[in-house]
Amino acid sequence: MNTQALGVEYYLAGMRAALDDLPPNEVAEIMEDVEAHVAELSTELGDDETLEQRLGSPELYAQELRQAAGYPPKTERLPVTTKGGWLTRPRAAAWGLVAATGVTLLAGVAALREPAILLLPAVILVLSLALVHDRGPLQQEIMNLPETHRLKKWLAVEPGTPAERALTYLTSLQPAWWLIRAGLLGLGAVLLAGRDILGFLALAAIAVVSVFAGPRAKVDRRWLWFSLPASALAVGLLFQVIDVTANQLAYGSSSRSSYPQPIVEPYQNIYVYDENGKLLTNVLLYDQDGQPINAPRGYNSCNDPGNGPEPVIPANRYPRPKIDYENGVCYTVAPSVSAPSSTASTAPSSSGSAPSSSVPPTSVSPSK
Amino acid sequence: MDTSQLLKGVLDLAVLAVLRKDDGYGYDVVRRLRAGGLNEVGDASVYGTLRRLYNAGMLTSYVVPSEEGPHRKYYSINETGRARLAESRETWRSFASTLDGLLEEVAA
Repeated sequence: MNTQALGVEYYLAGMRAALDDLPPNEVAEIMEDVEAHVAELSTELGDDETLEQRLGSPELYAQELRQAAGYPPKTERLPVTTKGGWLTRPRAAAWGLVAATGVTLLAGVAALREPAILLLPAVILVLSLALVHDRGPLQQEIMNLPETHRLKKWLAVEPGTPAERALTYLTSLQPAWWLIRAGLLGLGAVLLAGRDILGFLALAAIAVVSVFAGPRAKVDRRWLWFSLPASALAVGLLFQVIDVTANQLAYGSSSRSSYPQPIVEPYQNIYVYDENGKLLTNVLLYDQDGQPINAPRGYNSCNDPGNGPEPVIPANRYPRPKIDYENGVCYTVAPSVSAPSSTASTAPSSSGSAPSSSVPPTSVSPSK
Repeated sequence: MDTSQLLKGVLDLAVLAVLRKDDGYGYDVVRRLRAGGLNEVGDASVYGTLRRLYNAGMLTSYVVPSEEGPHRKYYSINETGRARLAESRETWRSFASTLDGLLEEVAA
């Protein structure tokens, strides 16, 4: 079986060599026919029968085919293959596809932060596909490139080995991957939805088309220019989602220890003294924006249900009334400690222009 | 007389004839020709003829994926091909009857 497979490769290589003076498009079309033919014939061969015995040498086969097809004999070389040289369009297109897929994988990791980065691989893909789009669905010229053959040989596994079974199993999972891929791309689109409407539309479109691209690429290799980068993008997005999730988990568990919040003692009331140490009552406090300063109300504020309707007093009027638990009425009581006389001297008492309690300090607030 | 020499002139007609009812890929066409009695038809000649008819605009092709092995390219006859087939059939019939007449005279 394996020697038959080698025989097929050898025979096809001989055919290509015998046809290599024809236009590449035409060679690709012929080889599409011949590959299927030789592959089917090789399954019909007996154990000690060879393709040469059945079909004649590749050169004879090619000669007969050329005659019947009306091509010129091999000696008349057409100038088509002599131009182009090393950097042919199929080769440029193939490497463009490889490069764009790689770039998409990298860009996919950043695609949620900056979706516009996907324009770079998109441009490479469009350009490289444009080079070979007219070469037919099988892209035989790319399949005939030496690097493609090396890749195929490298991927080829002997039938019956565990590696071959694993490969067969993985191949059977392909439709599942197409769905997972669409799901990942759709998830990426959803994550972008609120921030970048263009990125959302682009990713959503890619997600939808990717469902069809998988099976289409089996028939028309030009779809690989969509299918391969879509897979790379899905993997990139997966990495990013994992990364973000991991970061959030790490942040959630270590935030308190690594970023200690300044400890603020909650206060429930404010007592204001003048320079003579006299407690001021009914003082209204405002911040620099004219907003009332509200101390957090403790449970001992004066809104107990037993008190009836809460008295309408501005929340920033200090000192707040304090409830007396013994008889359940609200009245202002002085703090348990008397006014610290030492802090009174450090207070800005020298500025005698302290506003009266009824005037909101917006008039003296620093200009914004 | 070597029939393979005769075949060369009429292979176009034979290939168009077997594609008239059903589309077929290359080896399929070879098999149908052989089943029809053209045992000596060469594989490569059939493939070459398919290419020539295709390039002449008498056939269209489409690719069908195959479970095992490479994709199969099916050829189907189009209107141009059918017109050519009808025309060639008339030519062949008149040619064959002419030759039959000549041979009858010889035998007589």
